[in-house]
Amino acid sequence: MLKVENLTKTYPNGTQALRNVSFEVKEGEFLAVIGLSGSGKSTLLRCINRLVEPTSGKVYWKGQDTTSASNAEIRRIRRQIGMVFQQFNLVKRSSVFTNVMSGRLGYVNTLSSSLHIFSAEDRQRALASLEQVGLANKAHVRADSLSGGQQQRVGIARALMQSPNLILADEPVASLDPVLAHSILKYLEQLNKERGITVICSLHFLDLVHRYATTAIALKDGELVFQGLPKQIDDEQFKAIYGQEAERVSTV
Amino acid sequence: MTTSEKALIPPTNSALSVFFSLILPGLGQFFLKKRERGLLIFLASAVLAFLIYWSLDHQNVGKINIGGLTTSWLWLPFILFWAWNVLDVHLLRVHERSTILPGLLFVAIIIYVIAWQVTGVRLNRLVERFADARIVAANLLNPDMITISVKGEDKICAWSCMYSYIGDKLEGRPTEGIIRPSDNLLRIIGSIRPLPASQWRVNLGLAEPGSKVNTFVAGTMIETIAMGLMATLFSTVLAIPVSFLAAHNIMSRFPGGTVIYYAMRAILNIVRAIDTIVWGLIVIVWVGLGSFAGVIALTIHSVAALGKLFSEEIEHIDAGPVEAVTATGANLIQTIRYAVIPQIVPSFLAYSLLRWDINMRSATVIGFVAGGGIGFFVVETTRMGGYQQYATALWVVAVVIVLVDYISAKWREAILKDQPQRDENKRQSVFYNLRLAFYITLGIAAFVYCWNITEISIRSLLDPGKNFGQLILDFLNIDLTPAVVQVVVQQMLVTIFQAMLATTLGAFLALPVSFLAAKNLTGSNQLLGWLYYLARGLLNILRSIEALLYVVIFVFWVGIGPFAGMLALSITSFALIGKLFSEAIENIDAGPIEAVTATGANRLQMIVYAVLPQIVPPFISYLIYQWDINVRMATIIGFAGGGGIGLTLTTFFGSLQYHKAGTVVAVIVIVVALMDFASAKLRRSLV
Repeated sequence: MLKVENLTKTYPNGTQALRNVSFEVKEGEFLAVIGLSGSGKSTLLRCINRLVEPTSGKVYWKGQDTTSASNAEIRRIRRQIGMVFQQFNLVKRSSVFTNVMSGRLGYVNTLSSSLHIFSAEDRQRALASLEQVGLANKAHVRADSLSGGQQQRVGIARALMQSPNLILADEPVASLDPVLAHSILKYLEQLNKERGITVICSLHFLDLVHRYATTAIALKDGELVFQGLPKQIDDEQFKAIYGQEAERVSTV
Repeated sequence: MTTSEKALIPPTNSALSVFFSLILPGLGQFFLKKRERGLLIFLASAVLAFLIYWSLDHQNVGKINIGGLTTSWLWLPFILFWAWNVLDVHLLRVHERSTILPGLLFVAIIIYVIAWQVTGVRLNRLVERFADARIVAANLLNPDMITISVKGEDKICAWSCMYSYIGDKLEGRPTEGIIRPSDNLLRIIGSIRPLPASQWRVNLGLAEPGSKVNTFVAGTMIETIAMGLMATLFSTVLAIPVSFLAAHNIMSRFPGGTVIYYAMRAILNIVRAIDTIVWGLIVIVWVGLGSFAGVIALTIHSVAALGKLFSEEIEHIDAGPVEAVTATGANLIQTIRYAVIPQIVPSFLAYSLLRWDINMRSATVIGFVAGGGIGFFVVETTRMGGYQQYATALWVVAVVIVLVDYISAKWREAILKDQPQRDENKRQSVFYNLRLAFYITLGIAAFVYCWNITEISIRSLLDPGKNFGQLILDFLNIDLTPAVVQVVVQQMLVTIFQAMLATTLGAFLALPVSFLAAKNLTGSNQLLGWLYYLARGLLNILRSIEALLYVVIFVFWVGIGPFAGMLALSITSFALIGKLFSEAIENIDAGPIEAVTATGANRLQMIVYAVLPQIVPPFISYLIYQWDINVRMATIIGFAGGGGIGLTLTTFFGSLQYHKAGTVVAVIVIVVALMDFASAKLRRSLV
């Protein structure tokens, strides 16, 4: 479904965020991306939907090379790929409903959406998405009046509006209380298992990886240092990924 | 690197650096890796040397004769400054620290002596002509608002007359005469007069064609308010597209967008550097005198000012939602609509309201050059010596601007405060919709009314006056002959010094008042509490009147010239600095005050140990800011007789010498832009 080949990203300031990364994701997988802060996880996810322009290498989405896609084509690809962010990235002043609705923009025409006109079907879909994450009663409050965990669920509802085949989750629980981490990841797991949506999720804590991911890759200084099943990450692997100083910690 | 090149670069701690500063000020500091300090000292000495030479040459400042040699005694502090600079290097080299205070002292002596002379400060005039000033003061305190008619004879009924009249009324005594609003007040506010019925009345069948109907004729203040409203509305609408073109994060998405961004930013900065009043001079060549010219001038300056503020707001939005909406596959327009606009709406509204306040103030003086509004009324009345009539205008302006200031501030606060959750049910209620419809109708009616009384005419907009082409040609081909440039630079220097003295004087006056106007220092005691309201009220009223309106008073007192302008500017500086200072005092951290008070310190000790250390940096920052503002204001103060470059500019405009006027405008743009840049940089280094 998704194939990444020799992906390299060098930022204008000279930082090498990704070096020759190659891997493949099969439909229905829950892929965890692990690594230290600054190891290139966020850049990798953003190269997949080209929010960040790769320096070289290829990304194939359902066989189509996204790195050479035109602007219109890349928007068509993006709308099939939902994204969830560490800082939720909601428009704080807009209502929850409008935030969720914005997930549908890739499908609707520019003029009517600019006037905030959406079809009844899309409005229904938005309410259903909110229902899915348990926030149907919060549709008309301002996004910033919700708690962090609720805001992230709105983020998931927004991604659902895209009817995605793939969800990219960039540290979706890193800004939340550890107790809330499971609640968010359970929603992603549910979408993965029940709807067959492929998930690529970057995570900090290894026990979350063990618990939710079906497969994992690890980055260190922009290089792929591990690829396999979560349970294969033993102490030796762990030190290779996180450095000799690191010690395992667990969440609740 | 060859050996000879190496020899030029001394080891950083060498005694050689002292010698370097002896030959060129700042060079030693530069080599001690104090690059900024070195550069500043070098620039300061170059500027000081030029000023001493120039002021001696043109105005005989500091002229002395020593054994047949004519020179300026100001070279003495200059030599002392030079000596301090050498000592500074020595101290930096040996102790790695040195104070800049002596250096600042010598700079201040030189600059203030020159400023004093070129601004034509004559303190004796303040005293000698005090009798004249008292006459003006008496007139100002007794405005021509109410007319009393005693036995068929009309007289101005000022405060004391009104007091006894009201007293008589209350106690049931027969009054001395019959009172009514004076014609002067009616000219300012408006009056109801029988006029031929307007076309729409006839069309609606409310009046016969040609018949007379009692019609409200707007006074000059109503006209001024309408000008401010229209300019704010037009400039907000125009500034929105402009601001997107001047926002880096939007434009960098397009090929070639960065070029447009830089061009737009440059244009905005140039347009902003030219004061509204100067724009008025240009606009009247285009559309002729009248309030329409005023609206255009206000709009031009506002678009630039708002465009800058708006675009900075766009640049500072949270990038997260933009990223998220882009990731859903939305295109650029959709991304702007859903991720950018919701973030910027409140701050745009707040800035527009702030601009409304500023536009209302400018509208009160735009009439000095463009005709129309209360400014024109002031020009007319003071020319004929009608100080009591002029006083009425000042009182009315003060009332209106204080109100506008208050409404604008409250409204901005409400917008920027996080609003409560939106209630969907309320939006659908009949009452809500009715109210909305009422506001919209009211808005449209006000718009049409303002459009009419400001005489907006698309036709004259599209049909520039015959001199306008000439003006454009001359502005593109400005006069750079040495004689003209010399006059312009000289007047510009006078203007800068004027602004500096006004800032200093204003600050000296404001300092004690600002402590009284700070709530946290005066709250405890009843007497101080009253003084607080008195101080705040005084600052607010004085601040509500533009410097141009004050000039008239000082021209009468000390005569036409830069001194009068300086005094007028110092009144507005006093008011604004007083407000900013008192707010700075109110914003200090209360912890240290509590701690120092807890040690048993008295109020004065508390101020010295807990308040002063916290307020010195913001005070200095505000002083620089005020100087920056005053330079802008000083460029126009000459329009009312306050001297400086404004006088030069009106002279050139009046005599249709547009190529020379262009030179003045160019110099103003350069100086204001430089001041803006320097003051922003200085203030940032202070905070």
